[in-house]
Amino acid sequence: MRTFLFCTFALLALPNVGTAATIEMDVNGLVCAFCAQGITKALRAFPATSDVVVSLEKKIVVVATQDGQDIPDDDLKRALTNAGYDVKAIHRETETLDDVRARLKAKP
Amino acid sequence: MLNSLLARACAGGFCLLGLVDAACAKPIAFANGTTIMTEYGAGTMIEAQAFYAPTYWLSLGGGYLHLDSDRIDRTRDISSIRANYLVHRWNRQDAQANLFAWGGLGNATGNDFRGSKLDRDIGFQADYETRRIYTSLMSDLHESSAYSHRVDTLQLGFAPYAHDYDDLATWFVFQTRHYTGGVHRGAECTGLIRLFKGGAWVEAGLTTKGKPQVMAMFNF
Repeated sequence: MRTFLFCTFALLALPNVGTAATIEMDVNGLVCAFCAQGITKALRAFPATSDVVVSLEKKIVVVATQDGQDIPDDDLKRALTNAGYDVKAIHRETETLDDVRARLKAKP
Repeated sequence: MLNSLLARACAGGFCLLGLVDAACAKPIAFANGTTIMTEYGAGTMIEAQAFYAPTYWLSLGGGYLHLDSDRIDRTRDISSIRANYLVHRWNRQDAQANLFAWGGLGNATGNDFRGSKLDRDIGFQADYETRRIYTSLMSDLHESSAYSHRVDTLQLGFAPYAHDYDDLATWFVFQTRHYTGGVHRGAECTGLIRLFKGGAWVEAGLTTKGKPQVMAMFNF
């Protein structure tokens, strides 16, 4: 019984192994891809960043972090401000960056 | 003495040159970003500029500007260093607007005065854009003891589709440019196609007199 429970919990935990958290930011002023290049440059400079996605359509910037790592809200806000944009909200999601890309590509 | 120092600084590549204000592109990219612009303006103007931005509201650099009058045999070459300042930025959910100002000093030569003159440059740019509409107004004044001329540029653009971050952006831009100081007669009107993707921007078009205008800009 103990072995069964252990295996069950292990299997339930499996989907989370290797997945990174994503941090989604609602950003004002996102209208031009050329001008927004500084966003990815600034966010990729964090050691905890694994990848960045910007959507002008949804007006969001999404950062995927390395396993077990996070970036403080103040640091994220400072990075976006220095790139010339205003952060309206920051929320952490459980979906992967691939999930985010799929969501952004899906028609509304 | 100051003229000489400025000329040497520019010749040494400190300011990789700055043409005019490359067609209303923003003179400040982003913090720790570098912008290089070059423009061929319908035979009247050739300009190159390079700027480094230590913050999102300030960039420093310089450029080279060549003006060639269509009225008489008058040319001017100005090498200058310049500071650009973001006076204010309005970030809205679906739009962004900016007000920039700049000032600079340079070394000017021309065929309608002797030797070189200290050039003083001051200007501003106001712009507003959404993902489908772009408008900008820019004015750039150059003065010395031998001349005073201003280049005013108005651009109105629209995008046939709303590009996203990784897409190729396409814009159709109508530009009218007015020169004072005997550089050009009347207003110069140009239709442009603007394309950009990633940190690369290219635009090209023709004036109503059939003269080409080409501009390229890179942010990195």
